[in-house]
Amino acid sequence: MEDDNEYDQQLEENDEDEEITQEDAWAVISAYFEEKGLVRQQLDSFDEFIQNTMQEIVDESADIEIRPESQHNPGHQSDFAETIYKIGFGQIYLSKPMMTESDGETATLFPKAARLRNLTYSAPLYVDVTKRVIKKGHDGEEVTETQDFTKVFIGKVPIMLRSSYCTLYQNSEKDLTELGECPYDQGGYFIINGSEKVLIAQEKMSTNHVYVFKKRQPNKYAYVAEVRSMADSQNRPPSTMFVRMLSRTSAKGGSSGQYIRATLPYIRTEIPIIIVFRALGFVADKDILEHICYDFQDTQMMELLRPSLEEAFVIQNQQVALDYIGKRGATVGVTREKRIKYAKEILQKEMLPHVGTGDFCETKKAYYFGYIIHRLLLCALGRRAEDDRDHYGNKRLDLAGPLLGGLFRMLFRKLTRDVRAYVQKCVDNGKDVNLQFAIKAKTITSGLKYSLATGNWGQANAAGTRAGVSQVLNRLTYASTLSHLRRLNSPIGREGKLAKPRQLHNSQWGMMCPAETPEGQACGLVKNLALMVYITVGSAAYPILEFLEEWGTENFEEISPAVIPQATKIFVNGCWVGIHRDPEMLVKTLRRLRRRVDVNTEVGVVRDIRLKELRIYTDYGRCSRPLFIVEKQRLLIKKRDILALQQRESPEDGGWHDLVAKGFIEYIDTEEEETTMISMTINDLIHPSLILGVCASIIPFPDHNQSPRNTYQSAMGKQAMGIYVTNYQFRMDTLAYVLYYPQKPLVTTRAMEHLHFRQLPAGINAIVAIACYSGYNQEDSVIMNQSSIDRGFFRSLFFRSYRDEEKKMGTLVKEDFGRPDRSNTMGMRHGSYDKLDDDGLAPPGTRVSGEDVIIGKTTPLAQEEAQGQASRYSRRDHSISLRHSETGIVDQVLLTTNADGLRFVKVRVRSVRIPQIGDKFSSRHGQKGTVGMTYTQEDMPWTVEGITPDIIVNPHAIPSRMTIGQLIECIMGKVAAHMGKEGDATPFTDVTVDNISKALHKCGYQMRGFETMYNGHTGRRLTAMIFLGPTYYQRLKHMVDDKIHSRGRGPVQILTRQPAEGRSRDGGLRFGEMERDCMIAHGAAHFLKERLRIRLSVEGARTRPDIVQVHIPYACKLLFQELMAMAIAPRMLTKEDVGKPSKDQKKKGA
Amino acid sequence: MAEQEEKRDDKKGEKFSIWDLPDVPAKLPPHIEFQRSRVLCNLDAPIHTENVTYGGAYASMGVDNSLQLDNFRKNFGVEVIRLTKEDMEFDLIGIDVSIANAFRRILISELPTMAIEKVLVANNTSVIQDEVLAHRLGLIPVIVDPRLFAYMSENDTSNGKNTIVFKLHVRCERGEPRMTVKSNELKWLPNGSELLLESKPDSNPESKPRTYTSFSCSQDSLPEFSNNPISPMLDITIARLGPGQEIELEAHAVKGMGKTHAKWSPVGTAWYRMLPEIVLLEDVEDEDAEKLVKTCPVNVFDIEDIGNGRKRATVARPRACTLCRECLRGGEEWEKRVSLRRVKDHFIFTIESTGALPPEVLFTEAVRILEDKCERVITELS
Repeated sequence: MEDDNEYDQQLEENDEDEEITQEDAWAVISAYFEEKGLVRQQLDSFDEFIQNTMQEIVDESADIEIRPESQHNPGHQSDFAETIYKIGFGQIYLSKPMMTESDGETATLFPKAARLRNLTYSAPLYVDVTKRVIKKGHDGEEVTETQDFTKVFIGKVPIMLRSSYCTLYQNSEKDLTELGECPYDQGGYFIINGSEKVLIAQEKMSTNHVYVFKKRQPNKYAYVAEVRSMADSQNRPPSTMFVRMLSRTSAKGGSSGQYIRATLPYIRTEIPIIIVFRALGFVADKDILEHICYDFQDTQMMELLRPSLEEAFVIQNQQVALDYIGKRGATVGVTREKRIKYAKEILQKEMLPHVGTGDFCETKKAYYFGYIIHRLLLCALGRRAEDDRDHYGNKRLDLAGPLLGGLFRMLFRKLTRDVRAYVQKCVDNGKDVNLQFAIKAKTITSGLKYSLATGNWGQANAAGTRAGVSQVLNRLTYASTLSHLRRLNSPIGREGKLAKPRQLHNSQWGMMCPAETPEGQACGLVKNLALMVYITVGSAAYPILEFLEEWGTENFEEISPAVIPQATKIFVNGCWVGIHRDPEMLVKTLRRLRRRVDVNTEVGVVRDIRLKELRIYTDYGRCSRPLFIVEKQRLLIKKRDILALQQRESPEDGGWHDLVAKGFIEYIDTEEEETTMISMTINDLIHPSLILGVCASIIPFPDHNQSPRNTYQSAMGKQAMGIYVTNYQFRMDTLAYVLYYPQKPLVTTRAMEHLHFRQLPAGINAIVAIACYSGYNQEDSVIMNQSSIDRGFFRSLFFRSYRDEEKKMGTLVKEDFGRPDRSNTMGMRHGSYDKLDDDGLAPPGTRVSGEDVIIGKTTPLAQEEAQGQASRYSRRDHSISLRHSETGIVDQVLLTTNADGLRFVKVRVRSVRIPQIGDKFSSRHGQKGTVGMTYTQEDMPWTVEGITPDIIVNPHAIPSRMTIGQLIECIMGKVAAHMGKEGDATPFTDVTVDNISKALHKCGYQMRGFETMYNGHTGRRLTAMIFLGPTYYQRLKHMVDDKIHSRGRGPVQILTRQPAEGRSRDGGLRFGEMERDCMIAHGAAHFLKERLRIRLSVEGARTRPDIVQVHIPYACKLLFQELMAMAIAPRMLTKEDVGKPSKDQKKKGA
Repeated sequence: MAEQEEKRDDKKGEKFSIWDLPDVPAKLPPHIEFQRSRVLCNLDAPIHTENVTYGGAYASMGVDNSLQLDNFRKNFGVEVIRLTKEDMEFDLIGIDVSIANAFRRILISELPTMAIEKVLVANNTSVIQDEVLAHRLGLIPVIVDPRLFAYMSENDTSNGKNTIVFKLHVRCERGEPRMTVKSNELKWLPNGSELLLESKPDSNPESKPRTYTSFSCSQDSLPEFSNNPISPMLDITIARLGPGQEIELEAHAVKGMGKTHAKWSPVGTAWYRMLPEIVLLEDVEDEDAEKLVKTCPVNVFDIEDIGNGRKRATVARPRACTLCRECLRGGEEWEKRVSLRRVKDHFIFTIESTGALPPEVLFTEAVRILEDKCERVITELS
């Protein structure tokens, strides 16, 4: 505020009130990214897990109580009648990530070391444990012994990089560099056994929400209402309740039909709703109807309930109703009392658990149940449309926090179970209880590690686990890494042909990127977050409940149902808590408090005026986005606030959170968005280009492209080479591509600034001509300038790392790195061992190729294994050789020890990849192509300025694909190059082609970017004007040298003796049907015969009259043997044999 | 052409010839002549870009189109417009496009220069990989006359006649700021390589240790280099070194041609364009004149006063025309007023040398190479 006063003096009054411009909005956006970075959802979610969820999970487990099971113990008389052991868990403590070496030394672990040495970046977790032994004497006297164990180690928790428990948290750029980290790396992933793992956000339907659907006829049911109810902090699958209205036609017996029935958990059949009410203790028809339609004047609705009332006419009191339900439960053949008790339990504990599971919840449950039916009826009466399953307000995202929370809860329960079992055993055997032994830290350590390493969420080899939750972080290029950290998965069956969940939904505006999604099976199911989304982490509901209480909310005990139609129903996280008679005031107050941050900013306030409902949400996983607040048609944020933001001294003070705290900006979630007036000008939305995700933000002028092209580019941008992290030389990635001379694009978007695309670019500003020239650029191929290539155009480095370790085999025997000796080593490779040093490793700088051995390793050979040749061989070779199709130079060798203290080596081989015919390139508009020809400079066409293009693409690539953005990028690039500035290609701005053209003309060029050119071969002028200019091109990772493959003879499979499969095994190439067709069409009969008949066919040569020699493929022989093994007798009939039965056939056969 | 007709008369004498008829034109009609000698740049695309080289192409009109040496002598001309150490612009007038293009192609790809081909890295602790470093070194122009050196063929050894050796040894000391290594650090080794070949253990320990080159004498003892040491192009960044990093290497430059690798090309680029010819087909006056002047971003047109306060547009700087054709775009009437043309046998030739040889020498060398080629063809044919 002090700053503001200063400005007050400097500026005139009307200046202060000046509206902000688009440029100012970008200052706000910069403040956002400066504070939040790009993977905030991951970090927030994980921090919430560490700081709150973990403790809550420990707290929610009740004390373990162990009573010794009486065992026959002759001759031993206990001093006490009963001894009770109670074990309780208290405060948890998490340390910084640590690593214990095999020699017992413990030290702080840094991510770099974890990555290089294949360690797990995890921190030890400790918990206070109290053990109480209550001894009850024979005389009823109680003695309690309490023993406190502080900070008992219970397991290691993997730590998300750059989260508040990471060693890198809030390190400066310089410190990060010194720690061998890339300052641009955003964190948000884990390091498990040296590999980086991302947790992919999982989409799910929101719970505690009533959905009403109309069933497509013909169907037994006309309408269905469903609620997936889940109480807070419960590790149980949600209990789903369906309330269904039967369709008129299906009614049997001619009764009036439309019964309404509900499903209850553990109850086999549907129960008429009135019976449920009666079972809950609401017997009178009037009472029941009051809970459903509130307003008795509403005859239409009352009429709809008539059949249901008639159906339940026979059951007229609670006991009978409970018995009716109990009879349909799982238990059979028990007494009526037990059945009633069972039914009561179900109603209390299992039905709608989010409303309450304690005693005396019947009223609340009845109201909620009534509300479900009310909603169903509203829909049936056509007063309200059915719910939209795909509306994003009905979706919740499980991020790293909740995912780990669920896993941790399960593992902690397992741990306590194991503790109980152990203590029970000790107690029963009369041994002392040693808690250190009872708590098995491995449960949590390896449980978390297993799920993160494999992506199978849940226990190993247990059913119901989700696969692919954790994925290896994509490090191909920086944008692909960022995009991966913001990815989202909907676990709906990929096979389902249902198009709806895959389609872009209106409510995804601003939350999910409209362009970035894979093609094919996962299309629309895998999504990516838009740039400015905030995913709520969840906050406690009680401050809201307290507030509501304070501001005059009436709960069910205080009101009569008759007042409900006049008042507004209030829901907190889907749970109906009461009604309020002045919702306008309540909403205003809530919003005011939220804008003042007195109420958490992520709380969603949804006022549905038509339904007379106020829904307040505090739960986790909602998507929300920040918006400027408008009051009285004017933005609250003013010019002076922007100035204050721009002129602040340090990034810490002021900034984004300050803007939020001052009430200029608020977060609106998808559901609240539906009830909010949002102006579509830049001044209200922070900027419309922020609806895009990471990959789509790199596309210039995406608003001028056909939409699938943006989707294609979003996928291709992830395969582009560039510099993926600045510390790539310190990393040992299995595969890495680095461009020699990456350039920042001439034509940029504003979002790129925050994606660090200028610092870590993935492409080159190539001079591109769109022309037909010699015909070597047909069908999506391009002509490339060989002289440019010679000068370094799109040259790149390729790194591949090989790893190996000295495994322990048994207690004494260990593998050894070293140069294998031919005289005593068995099974040595074909390749050369000459490149190895004495330590068994190829030293850096060695040129290696083919199958050269780069890591020499041998295993001692047990005598019996040597099969009689005992004297000669004492070791077996287990060396690692280079992939046979690759060459390179050993770049770096790392020899260290891993977590088990075993010697462990990583060797990185580097090679240069020069663009050549067949390599793949693409522009930023989904226009990919392979190099079809390279021409040297003198063969290339040139302009009057002597410029030769680097790339010539075919004009046929443009019209049908409608990538106008590429053309605009090209002319804007030309202007930018001439003015020495960057061009702004942000979508949804007021840049027009005419403006760019005029600027280009001012530079002395043809307005639309055309140039006259001369043919390089003939030296004559071309008869067409050529569209030419700088366009940003990307080199994609698919290169011919990695794919080229042919084979004559080569390895075969052992079992079938058929050629091996795949290039990596030097496998065979199938001569398939279509290849056969080609040969037929070509008339190459002899070749065909050789290929297809001789190889497969039978040939007879007679030696003795009764024996025929038949040549068959080995695989055929194998088939016969397998048939014989199955007790099927195959027979081969030679031509003569076929003919034997009759003489006619003999003629034919011959 | 008149001479030809005379010749014909001599030969055929009394025989009647159609060429003798008085109404047979001796010159091409103007529209055909225009097509032959000019490219017309229309709004959409240039037309008449082809060259008519066939001697009998216009025989039906009594015009001989074959190349005549005398005519060529008469019409051919070279005018140097600009000449600096590194680049040159000159007009090449009265020559067929194929010859002009041959010069251009030879300049780019067939004129030899010296360039670093082999790099022996003794130590490289910088962040830049050996291959990248070597590639960068290769592209640095070596300022030396390549005519003084011989090509090194496959089984040749490196000697003073075919190799230039440079040494680069730089180190950024600890505690110092980052350092930029420029090409100035490349030191010429006139005595050849200083790096020793790994000697075989059984060889005579007293014999002189062998290096990677076998120079018979020091290159700086040669008259060509004694006062004129060989150096690479200066001020080219090779690498940047952090504290504690070091590069030690030897670079061997050999003779080669641009068609093998662009690093041997003696020019950055060499190209020509046809002479622009802009004609105002009708007088453009007053507002139209001002409009015309304004449309041209490179000020091809100017205004002249024709008295009475009236103005007329003139074509002042046709050479500057970049063919944006904006002057034609005002509507159909403008297409009729302005004609943008290019003269087919007048080339504005530009050579941008990399610095190894001055541009005028490059061009004469190119001419010599073309001569050699022609001679070779002639000897092969005879």
